[in-house]
Formats: sequence, structure tokens, C-alpha cells
Amino acid sequence: MDAWLLEYLPILIFLGIAIAISVIAVGASWLVARQKPDTEKGSAYECGFDAFGDARSKFDVRFYLVAILFIIFDLEVAFLFPWAVALGKIGLFGFWSMMVFLGVLTIGFIYEWRKGALEWE
Amino acid sequence: MMYVLAIFLPLLASLVAGLFGRTLGDRGAQIVTCGAVGTSALLSIPIFLTVAMEGHAVTITLLSWIQSGTVDVSWALKFDTLTAVMMIVVTWVSFMVHVYSVGYMSHDPSIPRFMSYLSLFTFAMLMLVTSDNLVQLFFGWEGVGVASYLLIGFWYEKPSACSAAIKAFLVNRVGDFGFALGIFGAYFLFDTVSFDVIFAVAPEKAAATVVFFGHEWHAITIVCLLLFVGAMGKSAQLGLHTWLPDAMEGPTPVSALIHAATMVTAGVFMVARMSPLFEYSATALMVVTVVGAATAFFAATVGCVQNDIKRVIAYSTCSQLGYMFFAIGVSAYQAAIFHLMTHAFFKALLFLGAGSVIHAMSDEQDIRRMGGIWRHVKVTWALMWIGSLALAGIPFFAGYYSKDVILEAAWAAGSPVGQMAYWLGIAAAFMTAFYSWRLLILVFHGKPRADERVMAHVHESPAVMIVPLLVLATGAVFAGWVGYELFVGHEQLHFWAGAIKNLPEHPALENVHHVPGWVALAPTVVAVSGITLAFIFYLVAPVLPGLLAKTFNGVYRFLLNKWYFDELYDVLFVRPAFRLGRGLWKGGDGALIDGVGPDGVAAATRVIAARVARAQSGYLYHYAFAMLIGVAAFVTWYMFNAR
Amino acid sequence: MTQTFAFSSLVPALPELFLTVAALALLMLGVFRKEDGCRQSTLLAIIAMAIALVLTSQLGGSVSYAFGGGEAGLFVMDGFGAFTKAMVLLGSAFTLGMSGTFLEREKIGRFEYPVLVLFATVGMMIMISANDFMSLYLGLELQSLSLYVLAAYHRDNLKATEAGVKYFVLGALASGMLLYGASLLYGFVGTTSFDGLAKVFGAEHAVRPSLGVIIGMVFVLAGLAFKISAVPFHMWAPDVYEGAPTPVTAFFAVAPKIAALALFTRVITGPFGDLAGEWRQVVIFLALASMFLGAFAAIGQTNIKRLMAYSSIGHVGFALVGIAANSVLGIQGLLIYLAIYLFMNTGVFAIILSMRQKGRLVEGIDDLAGLGKTHPAMAFVMMVLMFSMAGIPPLAGFWGKLYVFLAAVESGLMALAILGVLSSVVSAYYYLRIIKVMYFDEALEPFDRQTDRPMRLVMGLSALVVLVFTFIPGPLLVGAKAAAAVLFPAAAG
Repeated sequence: MDAWLLEYLPILIFLGIAIAISVIAVGASWLVARQKPDTEKGSAYECGFDAFGDARSKFDVRFYLVAILFIIFDLEVAFLFPWAVALGKIGLFGFWSMMVFLGVLTIGFIYEWRKGALEWE
Repeated sequence: MMYVLAIFLPLLASLVAGLFGRTLGDRGAQIVTCGAVGTSALLSIPIFLTVAMEGHAVTITLLSWIQSGTVDVSWALKFDTLTAVMMIVVTWVSFMVHVYSVGYMSHDPSIPRFMSYLSLFTFAMLMLVTSDNLVQLFFGWEGVGVASYLLIGFWYEKPSACSAAIKAFLVNRVGDFGFALGIFGAYFLFDTVSFDVIFAVAPEKAAATVVFFGHEWHAITIVCLLLFVGAMGKSAQLGLHTWLPDAMEGPTPVSALIHAATMVTAGVFMVARMSPLFEYSATALMVVTVVGAATAFFAATVGCVQNDIKRVIAYSTCSQLGYMFFAIGVSAYQAAIFHLMTHAFFKALLFLGAGSVIHAMSDEQDIRRMGGIWRHVKVTWALMWIGSLALAGIPFFAGYYSKDVILEAAWAAGSPVGQMAYWLGIAAAFMTAFYSWRLLILVFHGKPRADERVMAHVHESPAVMIVPLLVLATGAVFAGWVGYELFVGHEQLHFWAGAIKNLPEHPALENVHHVPGWVALAPTVVAVSGITLAFIFYLVAPVLPGLLAKTFNGVYRFLLNKWYFDELYDVLFVRPAFRLGRGLWKGGDGALIDGVGPDGVAAATRVIAARVARAQSGYLYHYAFAMLIGVAAFVTWYMFNAR
Repeated sequence: MTQTFAFSSLVPALPELFLTVAALALLMLGVFRKEDGCRQSTLLAIIAMAIALVLTSQLGGSVSYAFGGGEAGLFVMDGFGAFTKAMVLLGSAFTLGMSGTFLEREKIGRFEYPVLVLFATVGMMIMISANDFMSLYLGLELQSLSLYVLAAYHRDNLKATEAGVKYFVLGALASGMLLYGASLLYGFVGTTSFDGLAKVFGAEHAVRPSLGVIIGMVFVLAGLAFKISAVPFHMWAPDVYEGAPTPVTAFFAVAPKIAALALFTRVITGPFGDLAGEWRQVVIFLALASMFLGAFAAIGQTNIKRLMAYSSIGHVGFALVGIAANSVLGIQGLLIYLAIYLFMNTGVFAIILSMRQKGRLVEGIDDLAGLGKTHPAMAFVMMVLMFSMAGIPPLAGFWGKLYVFLAAVESGLMALAILGVLSSVVSAYYYLRIIKVMYFDEALEPFDRQTDRPMRLVMGLSALVVLVFTFIPGPLLVGAKAAAAVLFPAAAG
């Protein structure tokens, strides 16, 4: 195995642990708990009431909008962390690159604000 | 810049008039085209002075056109004396015709289209005369062909005009085929299509031969003969001449410009341009002489009995072109071009004059139903006289100088074919004078034979039609006298400056000045006697022609039916072609090819198309599936072909 | 690894930077204006493209790199890039110019439209200049995301939204394939730089590359083949072309196609240049399948936009023939083909955009009936373009096909050339059918008179180019040759 592939070993380990935990969690409940299903147990649970309508009902599109806007800024922050850590190494070029990125993002933000995407009504 | 402008202005005008004719209106289209061609005509004078008189020949390369392998063709404008002379002729006659058309076509509903075609023709013709390689020449050659086709068929609602246009196109196609083969041959022989290179190399290839059908042929002769076939088509020489009289279906200005002054002389120009090649092929020159002389004679005989005013002049054109060709055949290219120039002036004059007559006679074209109108159209009458005097070669008119020098050159060539050409030419000259005056007398003199309504209408044409006639008449009177020394006289070597090449073995033009007196005198004598005969026949004793026709009925019918050329072609080519076509259509195409080919393939195609369309189901997962299948197939392919 | 940074190193990317800034500025301008200035934004966007075109034309002289050290830089600018970028900019500007009136009439004229087109154009230019799988993906996604939105731009129209969703989902799948292929390549070779890959493949020239590399390459090619809608990755094209608003379809058919083919060429001649033996079979298959499917499937169509989709699939097939030849001549042929295609297609779409009866939009081929009588000029332009598309001499389309097939023959792909010519015969059927409908069928209801000036300009220009190319091909031939030679430094030297 090449040395540089070894750099990816932590990711592999991380992946393995994640899979293992989820398998253990689901598998343990399946193994340990008593399995005696009936109609009531199998039906959807909704705060003790009978379920209204179909679970696949339509959401208001505004929820999607908010979700997507959230993701954008979430990712931005996720992007900022490694940049902040590495700022000392990447120098002025790195700094200005991020500034440009943030500038573009700000323009997008202004656009959505003006368009009223942030207002619920 | 001046050079480029002179060539491209007509194209520009044609596009403007053609595309925006509706917006410009009739008047606008006329102004644009006349202005552009007029400017070209004015520009052609300084060009002539610089190029021909001062001897500054230039070649202007515009753009690279075709570059493939060793074929290298560019758009280039070559200006030497030959081109300059042609430019003067083309632009000035064209300008005159443009102006004349303003009056002549004033009642036509589609004036912009007409003016646009005329300008387009002018451009193509200029392209033809300025080209510096065979391919560009061919472009101009086809361009004038197309313009001619469009203009002959200008009145497309007339079936006769349409069929005349198609006939002109098809007959020319035969010639063009030869021309194209000639270009291939030249390329094969010289590895280039550029004139300068071909001419430079020609002496080295003088003895080259090609083996073909097991026989060794003289290469240059083959090329020259093929090129000459092209020239025959365009210049309506015997055998391929049948389209020219029919082409008179087009409007008269068109006949004057295209079918008298410029386009039909393209063949003469082309052969003169290729003189450095033709000089090396005695056989080709001989063929040119024979064909030219035969045409001159043949067309003159037919011209004597035609009754349509334009057809008479058309056959006369045919005959004069014959003169030019046998002049070339005896290596007197200069004389041919000289005659080309003078002929352009007086023949355009005659045609436009004929147009003026037709205009005056309420669109009557049959000379048997004219007569006695000279009092009403005095200017036209005088101008037609001048044109006819020039055509007949009466001394000191333009035709006298050029025709005489041709005939003298033919005699001076000293060869048997030269002698033959001389005597046929003399006979044709006699007939030329005869039919010219037959026409004049029947149209203008004697008693009126038209009905009174028409006679009451006879009127002189407006100034816009007369002025061009006057300009052309000036040319018809003085062009010969002015040009003689330059074109064929003692200054010719200096004037042409190498644009035309004569080998020392072909001294016809030099010997012109040393022919016996009677040789030089004969053309004038026969012309005068021809005129006299016409006067006797049609003015003094009008019964004579009828008597003659009755006595020699066979000969008369033979001439009237133009030697039965059309009928001959009908039997030889048209009907067999029809039969062959029908046979191929019914048997070959219908049963065999359609059944198996298009119909079968079409059916299969439709089935496949339906299948393919069904695959396009509209379901997203089908599409995604197809993509994955594609990738999987590729990967599988490499897995199994991996090693 | 602190880097010294000089702004001059950004010069090769100046047109892209300028366009990006212009697009952002337009976005701000649009959002702060009271009324919806679609027309004004469109005009400004076209001006921006024109300036970018001028900038681009100044840069093509030599090969230069940006964003990274030397030849390993993410971004490369050379003669090939300049040539194709010029075509992309022209195509974008033309289609943008044609769309203004249409959008206003359909009441979807908002300023976002030109901005999205600008972003897509920037994406395409980055694609063309990509010198690394990173920048390739960046440009590709910037372009694709803009195009997804554009496809669904008419958001109240069921068909348009369907087109947008289909395009998005399949596009995402293709992007996934591309990424997967790129990561495979990275995994087996250890670099994503085009130059790095080329060096590795060039070095182990004698040894056959491992299967992983080949599979990675196949995935990359599949992803790219989706973008150029080559068969069997073409399925989205007819649905999207039909569903999207017509100006968007016009845009789709021209600029992105040229950009994607340019990218395809760069990838295949750059990093995979020494693997010609491996990819050639794939490209030949793509070319053949596209040519034939394009020819056959178009026959049964009744909607002219759908027909154009199949027609463009066929054209991509012909263009791929040039790539399959893998020579300067082949790429030259490809570039000539694309340049001619650019003009033919914009012209045809200008006419499709003019197909309105009493203000109502029609898209059926039968609606063209009798156009020869009712609108002779428009019918003439359409006839010229159709003849040219069918590749009938002496129109420009014929030369495009000729150069491509000549290159194929020169490279020994005789069978491909013959089959290509056969397919072009089949495709002639439906092009000629349109002419037949226009000239020989009875007119139903005449179209409204086209009064939009840019539209008429585009129609006239396209017809003129198609007609005149035969006489003045010189500039294009020389330019394409110089651009193609850049990709084959070995052959040029």
C-alpha cells in the first residue's frame, strides 16, 4: 500500500466504527427485546391519538426554502473551521480567497433577503 | 482599393436592391444599382489608364479560398491590359443598359428584382474578367450563367421564357462540363490553376503527352480543346449555339447586355486569356478557326431570313462571335479583342435600338408588320443606321477597322484554314450587310404594314432610353478609329505588355500590314454590294424576295428553320434522353431502386424510429437505467478485453 | 507552504473573473430596482459578454496557467480555450438576445434570467479552461446548476418544471459518475491534475494502464457524455428540450454543448492523450450510436423542439467523429463543425421562437406549413439552414461534415466515416421534410410578423454565415487549425 493511501486510514477507521455502532444499536434491540407484534403495536404512534391522514402529506414549500438556506450557511461554517485552523499556513492568498467566498455569499444573502425569502408571510 | 471597389460595388448594389427592394421602392433600387455600376464605370477609366496605358499591371489577393493538399486557390483580382479593356467594355455597356432599363422596364411590376439581377450579372462578369486563376474564372463563368438564366426567365409567367431559360442553362452545361474537364486537365498537367504559373510553365510542357485509350495525345491540345468546348457553349458557337436565339425571350436590355455585348464574349475572352497555352497547340488553333469561320458563315445565312427583329440581331451576334474566334484561331488575339470591344458598342446599340423600336411599336417584334416609321422615331432611326453601318464594316465606322483586320489576319496567316476562314468571312460580311439593311428597310422604310392603332401610337422613346443610345453610338463611330493603333497597330506590343502571347511562328498580325490591296478592299466592296442588294430587294423591287423564296423553296425552308439544328438535337438527344429517362424511371427507379431502396429503407426506418421513440418513455428511472446500463456495458467491455 | 501571491497571476482568468463580477453586480442591480428590468439586465449581460469576448481574444496567444504552480495550475488558457470560449460567448449572447421578447410575452421576464445565463457561461468557460479534475467539476457544476434552474424557469408550467426536475436528477447522477471516475483515477494515480495524469500515462506508455484507471476513465467519459447528450446518455435531452422554455432550449442547444464538447476534447487529448487506444472504442461507439439514434429517432417527431433535440444528438455524433480521429485535423474539423453548428442552431431557434399564431406559441412541425408563401424570407432562411444541417453542398454544414470525415479517414477510421455519411443521409430525410412542409403544404394560419429586431438580425446573420462560408472559409479554417494544434504540442513541433 502506498504511503499516501495510509493518510486515509483514519477515515476508514472512522467509517468502520460508525457502521459498527449503528449495527450494534439496531441489532441489539432486535436480539434482546421481545418480538411480539400485533396491529396496535405496528401502527403509527401519534401522541395516543389515532393517526390523521397520510404521513406523506405535502409540506409547505417554505420549509424547504428554510432548510436549504440553513444548509448553505451551515456548510459555510463547516468550511470556515479548517480555513481558520490553516490560516497561518495558507497566507495572504488563502485569506483573500475566503474573503472573496464570503463576499459572494453575502451577495447571495442580500439577494434572498431582498427577495423576501427570510420572511415567513 | 479603387480596384476592389470597382468590382464589388455592383455586388453590393445587387444585394441591396434584391434584399431591400421592397423598402427602397422602384426608384430607390434604380438609383442604387445605376449609381453603383456608374461608379464602377467611372473607376474603370483610371484603372484602364494606369494598367493599360502606363503599363502597371497588378494582382490583388483578397482572401485564401481553398487550401487542400496541393490545391491552393485564392480570391485574387488580376488587372492587366486584357482585363482593363474588358472592364471598360463591361462596366460602360452595363451602365448604359442599367440607365436604359430605367425607361424600358418602367411598366414592369418587379423593377428591383430586375435591377438586382443586372447588377449581379455585372459583378459576375467583372469577377470573370479579373480572375487570376481558372477556378475563380469558373466561378464568374457560372455566375454569369446563373444571372443569364435568371434574366432570360425574368418573365417567368411566360412558358416560352421559362423553356428558353432552361435551354440556355442546359446547353451551357454541356460547354461548362468541357470547361470543368479542361480545368481538371490543366491542374493535372501543371499542378496549379493559377494563370501566372501556368503561363510560365507552358513552354516547358509544350511537348508533354498523356496516354489515354492506348493512344498518346498532346497534353496541351487536350486541355485547350476542352477549354474551347466551354468557350463554345458560352459564346454560342456552331453546335452549341441553339440557346442564343431563344434567349431573346428575355427583356431587350438583357439581350443587349448579356447576349450581345458581354457574357457571350466571355468565351472569346477566356481563350484570349489562355493564349499562352493555345499558342502551343496548332491543332487546337485549327479547330478554333474552323469552328469560328463555320459559325460566322452559318449564322449569317440564317440571319438573312429571320423575321423577328431580335432574332436577326441574335444571329448576327452569333456570326460576329465566329469572326472573333477565327481571329483567335489564326493567332490574332488582339484583333479578336479589338472586335469584341467595337462589337460590344455597336451590337448593344443595335439591340437597345431594337428595344426602342419594339417599345414604339407596342411590343411588336415581327419586322414584316413594321415599316415606314422612320419619320416618327427619327433619333432611333439614325442610331440604328449608325449601328448597322458599324456592323457592316463601312469605312471609318468602328466595325470597319476591327472586321477588316480580322479578315486580313486570316488571309495573312497563310494556312489553308486561314484561307478558308477568309473566304467564309467575306461571304458572311456580304450577308451581314444584306440582312442589316433588310432589317433597316423593313422596319423603318417603305409603307407601314402595322395596323392603324399601332401606328398612331408610334412615338420616340424617352430621354432616359435615348441618352444611353447616344453614348453607345459615339462608341460605335469612334471606337475603331481610336483603338486601331493601340490594339492591333504598331503600338500593340507595347499596349498589351505581355497580356497576350504570340509565338514567332504565328505572325498573322504582323503580316496584316503586308497583304495585297484587294484583300483589304474586298470586305468593303462586298458590304456595299450587300447593302445595294438589300435596297433592290426590299425597296426597289419588293417582289423579288418572294420570287426567290418560291424558286429555291428548299433552301429557304432550310435557312428559315436554322439548318434544322433544333430538330436534329431533338431527334438525337432530347427524345432518346426522354425515352431513357422514362425507362429508367419506370423500370429502374420505380421497380428496382424504390422497391428495394427508399421504400424498403423508408419502411425499415419508420419501424426503427417507432422503436426508438418507445424507448423514450418519459420515466426518469428508465433514463437513469439506460445510463447505468451504458456505463456497465463499457466497463464490461474493458473487463473482458483487459488483456 | 506560504505562497507569495501576485494579482498578475490571475490574468489568464480575467474574462471569467470579469463575467463573475458582472453577474454579481447585475444580481444586485436587479434586486435593488423597483421594477423588473429584464430587458435592461439582458442588454447589460450581453455587453458584459462582449467585453469578455474582447478580453478572451487578447489572451489566446500563448499557453498560460493560473491558480497554482505552473503546469499543475487549476486553470489553463491557450489558443484552443480562446477559440471555444469565443464560440460559447457568441452562442450565449445570441440566444440571450433572442430571448427578451419571448420572456416578456410569456410574462416570465425577470432579471434573474440573464444573470443565470451569465453564471452558466462563466461555468462553461471554467470548464473549457479546466486543467484539473477539481476545476473541471467546479465549472461543470456551476454551469449545470444554472442550467437546472433555467430549465424550470417557467415555474408555473408543468412541462418546464418536469423538465427541470428530470434534468436535475439525471444530471446529479452523471455528476456522481464523473466524480466517482475522478476519485478512482485519483486513487490509482495519485493526482487530479491533467498534466500530472498525462505525465503518468505518458511515462508508462509501454505498460498497459491498470483496470482501475480504465474504469475510472470510463466513468469520467460517461459523466461527460451526459453533458454532451451522447447516446446512451442522451435520454434527458428530448424531454428537457421540449419542456424548457424555447429561449432556454436554444441556449441549451448551443453554448453548453460547445463547452462540453470542448471539455471532452481537452480531457481526452490532455490527461488521456496517451490512452488513445483505450478510449477510442468508447468514443467511436458514442459517435456511431449518437449519429444513428439522432437520425432515426428524429423522423417520428412532430414537435420541432424535440426534433431539434434529436438533431443535436446527431450533430454531437458527427462532432465526436472528429474527436475519435485524435489528430490536429480531427480537432480542427470538430472546431469548424462547432462554429458552423453554432450559427445554424441559433438561426433555427430564432425561427422557432418566431412561431406564433395570433400571439399563441406553437411548436408543431405541421404549423410550418405554407411558410414559403406567408413568410418567404423566413422560409428561405429556414430552408438554407435545413439544407446546411443536412450537409448539402455548398452550404456551410457540408464543409463541417467534410472536414470531420476527412480527419476520420486520414486516421484510418474508414468504416466510421462511411457509417457517418450513411447516417447523415438518413437525417437528411427529416430536414428535407421540414422544407417540404414549408413549401409544398397548404398554409393553415400564418404566423405573426416577427418584429423583434435582434431576432431578425440573428436569422439574417446565420443564413449569411451559412451561405458565405463556402467562399470565405479562410479565417475560420486557420483559426481552428491554430486552436487544434495547441492540444497536440508533439505534432506541432
